[in-house]
Amino acid sequence: MPITTQTAAGSASAPPIAPAVPSPRRRPIGHRLRDLGSRWLFLAPALAILVAVLAYPLFYTVQISFSELDLATFTPARNVGWLNYRTVLDDPGFLNSLRVTGVYLALALPLQMVLGFGIAFLLNVEWRGRGVLRSLFLIPMVVVPVVAGGVWKMLLDPMWGFVNYLLGLVGLGPVDWLADPTLAMVSLVLIDTWRWTPFVVLIASAGLMSLPGDVFEAARVDGAGWFATLRRITLPLLAPVILAAFIVRWLGAVKMFDIALAATKGGPGQATDVVNLYIYEKAFRGLEFGTASSMATLVLAITMLLTFLFLRLNRFLEKRW
Amino acid sequence: MHSLFRATHGTTRRALLAGGLAATVAMSLAACGSGDDDSITGGGVGTAEKPVSIRMIANDAFARQWQEQMVPEFNKAYPNIKVTIDGVPYGDLLAKEMLELTAPEPTYDIVVADDPWIPQLAKTGGLADLKGDLGAFTKSDYDWDDFNAAPLAAGEWQGKQYAVPLRSNLLLMFYNKTLYAKAGLPEPTPALTWQQYLEQAPKLVQDTNGDGKTDAWAVGTYFTRDPLTPTIWQTILNSNGGQILDDDNRPAFNTPAGVAALQTHVDLLKYAPPGAATYQFNEPLEAFRQGKTATMFMWGSVYRGTAIDPKTTTLKPEEVGIQVMPVGSLGAGAHRGMWTGAVAKKSKQAEAAWALLQWLSSKQGEKWQVNTLGVFPARKSTLSSTPEQAWLTPVFKAITDGYAAVEKGKMWRPKLPESDAIQQILATQHSLAISGQVTPAQALQNAEDEINKLLKSKGY
Repeated sequence: MPITTQTAAGSASAPPIAPAVPSPRRRPIGHRLRDLGSRWLFLAPALAILVAVLAYPLFYTVQISFSELDLATFTPARNVGWLNYRTVLDDPGFLNSLRVTGVYLALALPLQMVLGFGIAFLLNVEWRGRGVLRSLFLIPMVVVPVVAGGVWKMLLDPMWGFVNYLLGLVGLGPVDWLADPTLAMVSLVLIDTWRWTPFVVLIASAGLMSLPGDVFEAARVDGAGWFATLRRITLPLLAPVILAAFIVRWLGAVKMFDIALAATKGGPGQATDVVNLYIYEKAFRGLEFGTASSMATLVLAITMLLTFLFLRLNRFLEKRW
Repeated sequence: MHSLFRATHGTTRRALLAGGLAATVAMSLAACGSGDDDSITGGGVGTAEKPVSIRMIANDAFARQWQEQMVPEFNKAYPNIKVTIDGVPYGDLLAKEMLELTAPEPTYDIVVADDPWIPQLAKTGGLADLKGDLGAFTKSDYDWDDFNAAPLAAGEWQGKQYAVPLRSNLLLMFYNKTLYAKAGLPEPTPALTWQQYLEQAPKLVQDTNGDGKTDAWAVGTYFTRDPLTPTIWQTILNSNGGQILDDDNRPAFNTPAGVAALQTHVDLLKYAPPGAATYQFNEPLEAFRQGKTATMFMWGSVYRGTAIDPKTTTLKPEEVGIQVMPVGSLGAGAHRGMWTGAVAKKSKQAEAAWALLQWLSSKQGEKWQVNTLGVFPARKSTLSSTPEQAWLTPVFKAITDGYAAVEKGKMWRPKLPESDAIQQILATQHSLAISGQVTPAQALQNAEDEINKLLKSKGY
């Protein structure tokens, strides 16, 4: 700590003067090793927990994915090579669940991003009561997903539900939201959007508030209109924030499970059978732990690959603007 | 030492598997360990100085009721056994019990299992054979022969009795006499056929208050994607002489009778309230209790809350009828749904656990439970007795008829460790047919292919 303070102070007041304490590269090797050791010492508990609860189970899942699990002992009975993976890739239900998850992500994520940033723009403008509204926006985020799914199931009920009651007031409906395959997916997207758009609003608001005011001031002086400012300044400056929000939401959305379980149970048919729900049922209803582990591993690989691409894109955008 | 190592090793690996799945797909899984110690220790039934404690895992639908009312009654007979009952939602119960039973030191001495789960649970080696392992602790006056054959068979697998019936249940037909009268139809009788029922159904979709809008419908039952939904189709199929699996455990349902039965279930949706395609357990129950549906195919144990208890129903006892489901070519329909109690093989208090199960399923315990809690009985002596409450009389008649139908038509879910997986396949294909995405014939063909594949992979 003193090193940083002195260096910073030195560089601020008298750049040519050498720092009082040598830089890490110039320090004696013993000092450097002690420094390195103390850093790892502080990191060790966190690393141990991470390895225990994340890495090791992950590798064990991969091991199970190549095995047949003996239910009586709950240990791998024998190695089956790539058999579980071949079974999974030959399973139309799994492929369908990937497709369903893809459709859900393609619908939900853009909608949540557009709504989230749109609402953030509105909340960023000074108007009376925006603080209250901002607080209210947080409520859906703290609702347990299973509860959210259950409550929305009631709200969307054609006979008793409030949504159809409202539609009835304007002469529409009743709409069987959860019984029609297409509408069930739409409903799932709407429920998830209701729950997670506030999260995007939060990130977007933080991003908007961190934008440099002088750039906007200069744009105004140069006579830029609202739309031109949005298109030429705000959005480019926000691009990394938008992509960061997208990545966080992508990682959250790809885990979709509870809402689908509570609202539709993956139905009607397989219309909302998202991949995590399919894996869960395969593992804990079908007791196909080997194939379920293979599915989980494949989903992990796909998720990691896509996340990597998104992160590269994010870095590219950060450098560009 | 070796077994301890195996047990601990198993624990770690099971935890890791669950943790791994959780990490990869962000699901919340719990896991424990495993072990294979075959010894059964009695552990006694406790003394005043040294009481024993046992723990039970049960469905949360009745766990609290048992804890608050049944346990004090049991403690009158066994004051030195402390009983704790944990309620778990139905959807999570089987997975939790599987994980518990394979743990080296399971938390629970007693597991309460739904009808088709016993083979799956027993296959883990975690259940005690009540007649074999625990035979020495069975009271001499415990009358096995007094049970009706169908409910007792729910706890049996491969010649061993792993569980006893604790809360019997059957799929039965409820009907609203007021709505039948308004439709100008005669009240159903146990001789009502499916054909007659379907002919009457359009008339039961009616406007009861004359405002020009339909406000009552014919039927409410399971229609959504759920492992219990196919039980309606199965009952129709069984009552026409069909079966899900043949004696060699091969699919036997993909027949014209199977397709016709599924078509009947699909057709029921035409006469159900809006949104009925998503009906599971609560929704048809609520619709019936609100007087919106004239009939309901549902678990009979809901009778008390549907016809008697004014806190849970708008109907009056004299308005509600209960009987077996309509008749097919073989006979009337019903479907077995027993909650059975089993003792964990590794329980340190197996004697006390078995003492509780014996008391609860004994002639005395069952009668207490029927008359106090309204729970359905499994014993012939209880069903032939005069119930303390008058409303139970027609219920006893329906249950007796139901047991006869169940036994005659083998009306239960497949008795295999893969039962739940089979129900899941059937549920998905069923839901595809009900939502019109495939025809009933296509659904059954798909289900047959998938079940064949599943059973083949399991070595059948």
